[in-house]
Amino acid sequence: MKTEVSRRSFLQLVGGVGASFMLGGFATLACADESASAQDPFAPNVFLKIDPDGVCTVSITRSDMGQGVRTTLAMLVAEELDADWSMVKVTQAPGDRATYGGMGTGGSSSVRGTNQQLRRVGASARAMLVAAAAKQWGVEPSACRTEAGKVLGPSGQSLGYGALTTAAKAIPIPTDVKLKERSEYKIIGKPQNRLDNLDVVTGKAVYGADVRREGMLYAVCLRPSVFGSKSETIDDAKARAVPGVVDVFAISSGVAVVASNTWAALKGREALEVKWTEGPKHSTASLREALKAAAKDHNAMPGGAKRVTANYELPYLAHATMETLNAVADVRDDRVEVWTGSQSPDSAQNNVARATGLTADKVEIHNLLLGGGFGRKFSNEWIGEAVEISKRMKKPVQLLWSRECDIQHDLYRPMSEHVLSATLDAEGKPLGFSHQYLQAPGRGSGDYGTNTYLPYEVPSAGLRSAGVPSSVPTGAWRSVEHSQIIVANECFIDELAHAAGKDPFEFRKSILKNERLLKVLISAAEKGQWGKTLPKGSGQGIACFEGYGSRIAHVVEVTVKDDTIKVDRMVAVVDAGTTINPRGVEAQIQGGFMDGIATALYAEINIDGGAVEESNWSDYGWTRMSDTPKMEIFIEDSGGAFGGMGEVGYPSVPAAIANAVFAATGKQVRKFPIRLSELV
Amino acid sequence: MATYKIKVNGITKTVEAEAEMPLLWALRDLMGLTGTKYGCGIGSCGSCTVMLNGESVRSCQTAISDVGDKDVLTIEGLGARELHPLQKAWVEHDVPQCGFCQAGQIMAAAAFLKETPNPTDAQIDEAMNAILCRCGTYPRIREAIKAAAKEMK
Repeated sequence: MKTEVSRRSFLQLVGGVGASFMLGGFATLACADESASAQDPFAPNVFLKIDPDGVCTVSITRSDMGQGVRTTLAMLVAEELDADWSMVKVTQAPGDRATYGGMGTGGSSSVRGTNQQLRRVGASARAMLVAAAAKQWGVEPSACRTEAGKVLGPSGQSLGYGALTTAAKAIPIPTDVKLKERSEYKIIGKPQNRLDNLDVVTGKAVYGADVRREGMLYAVCLRPSVFGSKSETIDDAKARAVPGVVDVFAISSGVAVVASNTWAALKGREALEVKWTEGPKHSTASLREALKAAAKDHNAMPGGAKRVTANYELPYLAHATMETLNAVADVRDDRVEVWTGSQSPDSAQNNVARATGLTADKVEIHNLLLGGGFGRKFSNEWIGEAVEISKRMKKPVQLLWSRECDIQHDLYRPMSEHVLSATLDAEGKPLGFSHQYLQAPGRGSGDYGTNTYLPYEVPSAGLRSAGVPSSVPTGAWRSVEHSQIIVANECFIDELAHAAGKDPFEFRKSILKNERLLKVLISAAEKGQWGKTLPKGSGQGIACFEGYGSRIAHVVEVTVKDDTIKVDRMVAVVDAGTTINPRGVEAQIQGGFMDGIATALYAEINIDGGAVEESNWSDYGWTRMSDTPKMEIFIEDSGGAFGGMGEVGYPSVPAAIANAVFAATGKQVRKFPIRLSELV
Repeated sequence: MATYKIKVNGITKTVEAEAEMPLLWALRDLMGLTGTKYGCGIGSCGSCTVMLNGESVRSCQTAISDVGDKDVLTIEGLGARELHPLQKAWVEHDVPQCGFCQAGQIMAAAAFLKETPNPTDAQIDEAMNAILCRCGTYPRIREAIKAAAKEMK
């Protein structure tokens, strides 16, 4: 009963209030434990538990899809707690908004959105442990200090946190705590390895796909290849004859085949004969034409000595997470349990509650490690499918998307057309800048006003967005709209520099108004030896980006030889404010590099007759080991607010590569992925 | 449906399966060894790489009926007694991001190092091109392989 009350009060409190206020809500939880024995753990709130053996367990409310957030968020708590890092563990919180508040993981928001709260969790627990020790020693708490999981007294006394758990529970939760100054950090800023590395390398880490339940069945789904079509007639005789196939039936998104193992389900799916209704016959060629037709008018702009215009074409991209979508659902009459990897497990709880007519507290969402996310694992539609199938089978069922389903039924990064134009004065100074951003499907005839996503000092005629109708489902992809707008902008800035007869780095430097971005740009040019002599056929490219609370500049070197583009070297300078985990930052920048190479050189999704042409890794090109250039990453801490890291490493990379291709060939890139035959 | 006795990680397991069932699904769904991952099902990504008598194979392209009396080694068995130097190097070099492809990477690298104890960068590229990583951990994989090779001397 008391727990129920505290959950509700938490829900009321999470709506954008300070964490010190929220701790008041937790007091109910702490007081509810007054009958606890000496062996009980100290859990001042739902985010932290300290066991009598000294192990500190941090409850992680954000999804780890490779960005290392389990480690980073634990570091924030451990820092203020003054924990012994080797005694810190994490547990993944279930999808439960009433207890944990919003849990969506995206937009590089995990650290930015939770650091205040998590640091206060650590600081207030530390204060309670100190008060408990001080009371025991009969000294003032202010006479004590803490270090690596111990409270140290004024006369050499020392007690480990584990020995204080019971005593700490009797201490009132502080209403206000002081957070550390940056100079006091011992864990933040030090490179830490991922906490789950050992589990991963020994095969013990559990992803959604690895969940096995007693009596569980395995399901796959046949989906219409044409977006928007539905099953009309299903001939399942051959599918049912496949040994191991248990049932075949239509679900909202296609036809489910349920079997005693995944292989039988896949064989059954292969044997299905389904007639689908007609759907819209869109193609990327027709959509491209429609986008170009919609883009014919330029935004009004002042005249100048020179007018420069360029169109950039970007393709649909699939997320192609290494782990395809999957969920185990166990639907009972009075409750549902789901095991999955979701970027929004709290929304999943509500979705499942709605779909089953149960209340959210009867829906348990176990969120596991995600084998990649990149924005794909927000929508939870695969959970709905698993629930639909389990409900019918009255058994736990694992639904697994095959790679073909994944590539052909993604929520794609939209294809887009970018019409850029600018005017320059006689000295090459920009007088106006306009960007039309057209997508299929678009956001309607939206208008971004004067925001051009430009960090430069350029009188802007605005960024105008529009769209054309398309049956192709789309969604957020790493760095969202920046994956399109910044790529086009940073290519075009180079074209303006060339039109002005200026060096691309010097040109950027002369118009960059953002001081922190300017600093990393100059640093990247230095570290990358901008302007150095390269052999014929090789070139350097530069680009920069500020977003998600961080800033980055890239210098890349490419070699164009025969029919291929090879990225030889990449230099990045990043300012993420105050860096929490330099090793994690480096990994994210490396990931951004590789995504940049993949999408600059290989990846695209094409539509023909309303269906996706690509179907697997064999035709959806991605990077391999031999694509990996020499990488040099420099973190230049500016000491500001913690910045986001998941997205910032991507947008300027494809542009820097395109700009380097120009330097190597003298020809402009106007279309991605880059093909040498399509340079202009 | 037939009965197969398969030696996995030194233990003989008996499974009932269709002859054509890929070893991948036999491991994951029939034997509960989920460390070996499904990434494509067509032998393109290498996430499902295991060793068969010490050689790396794609378990999604290996029918259970073709395993015979060969020794199957999966990620669970690689470091069962003591961590393989590659596993240690992977942890030390903080290789994993999402981690989903890493079992395949490590198994492929383990088979590769047996044949090539002193690998050059070009040899690493050639061998490891078979295993796709979607997160971009390649530079750290490269470093970890070199470190493990040194350790194994």
